[in-house]
Amino acid sequence: MYNNTTISKQRSPAPGPLLMGDPDPKLSDDALLVRYTNGDGRAAQELTARLAPRCFGMAMRVLGNRAEAEDVTQEAMMRLWRMAPNWQPGQAQMSTWLYRVAMNLCIDHKRRQRGGNVDLDAVPDPVDTARSAAEQMQDGARHDALQVALMQLPERQRQAVVLRHIEELTNPEIAGIMDISVEAVESLTARGKRALATILAGRHKELGYNDG
Amino acid sequence: MMAELDKANQELDDLFAAARETPAALPDQLMMSILADATAARVEAMTAAPVAGQQSQPRNGVWRQLMLAIGGLAGAGGLVAASALGLWIGLAPPSFLPDPAQLVGYSDSTSVPYDSYDLAMMLGEEVQ
Repeated sequence: MYNNTTISKQRSPAPGPLLMGDPDPKLSDDALLVRYTNGDGRAAQELTARLAPRCFGMAMRVLGNRAEAEDVTQEAMMRLWRMAPNWQPGQAQMSTWLYRVAMNLCIDHKRRQRGGNVDLDAVPDPVDTARSAAEQMQDGARHDALQVALMQLPERQRQAVVLRHIEELTNPEIAGIMDISVEAVESLTARGKRALATILAGRHKELGYNDG
Repeated sequence: MMAELDKANQELDDLFAAARETPAALPDQLMMSILADATAARVEAMTAAPVAGQQSQPRNGVWRQLMLAIGGLAGAGGLVAASALGLWIGLAPPSFLPDPAQLVGYSDSTSVPYDSYDLAMMLGEEVQ
């Protein structure tokens, strides 16, 4: 992942461009953030690689718009950098904190843009290139179908379903992110999943499923 | 109807699984922007810290500088003790020390009998 020939192992607290190091991939998010605060540029890169894609994916699913999801991700990560000197290790899980910030930014975006349409560019890029073109097209259709169906859900149901079934967070984590009770999360995800199943029920052939 | 919903639920689970297996790829430009923000935020934090220090200094600047100049609380205590000792010596000097009033040129021309012996000697001179 890293080009070791260009890595400098010097450490300095002086301000200026972030220095390069080689953080252990096994380091916790908390430890990486401390390293970032001390000027380790590779720690920032590692944290970005760990956290930003999940934040971006969640925002894409919730917003249905790639450009807005990019804005949300960049702003959420900026808030992480800014609060880094004040981060209390162990008090909260960084990924959960970032999900919460990103979700609130998504809600702000939605408030500013009521009644927006689904952006087909919002569909995530498939990263598996080993499959056949036909399989990839079929996967694309499935992603399209899931995203279109998600965008038909009420906002809170969509948020809960994305966090539960795509991001695979626990109900207490989702409750903390959405600032609701665990029971409310269970209700939202159950109703959301039922609604999605209903939406998708008539599209078996389109999605490439056999009736047999 | 129930069978259709069960099947749709299974299909939905498959869609969720597919979505998890093919997460959204972070655009390179976004990655670069985030890392640029990281650098900017750190520079901002490093430059903001001295400014905050400069702002907090005037709140107790004079008193703090005075205390630092005399050596803190210990220095202030020593200064007070030395001042009190000097004042006491000035008001009631010990017998082995010269009278500070005479040192500055002031002397009383009339001697005042302080005790009975001095008074008797003075009266005896007058009788003679």
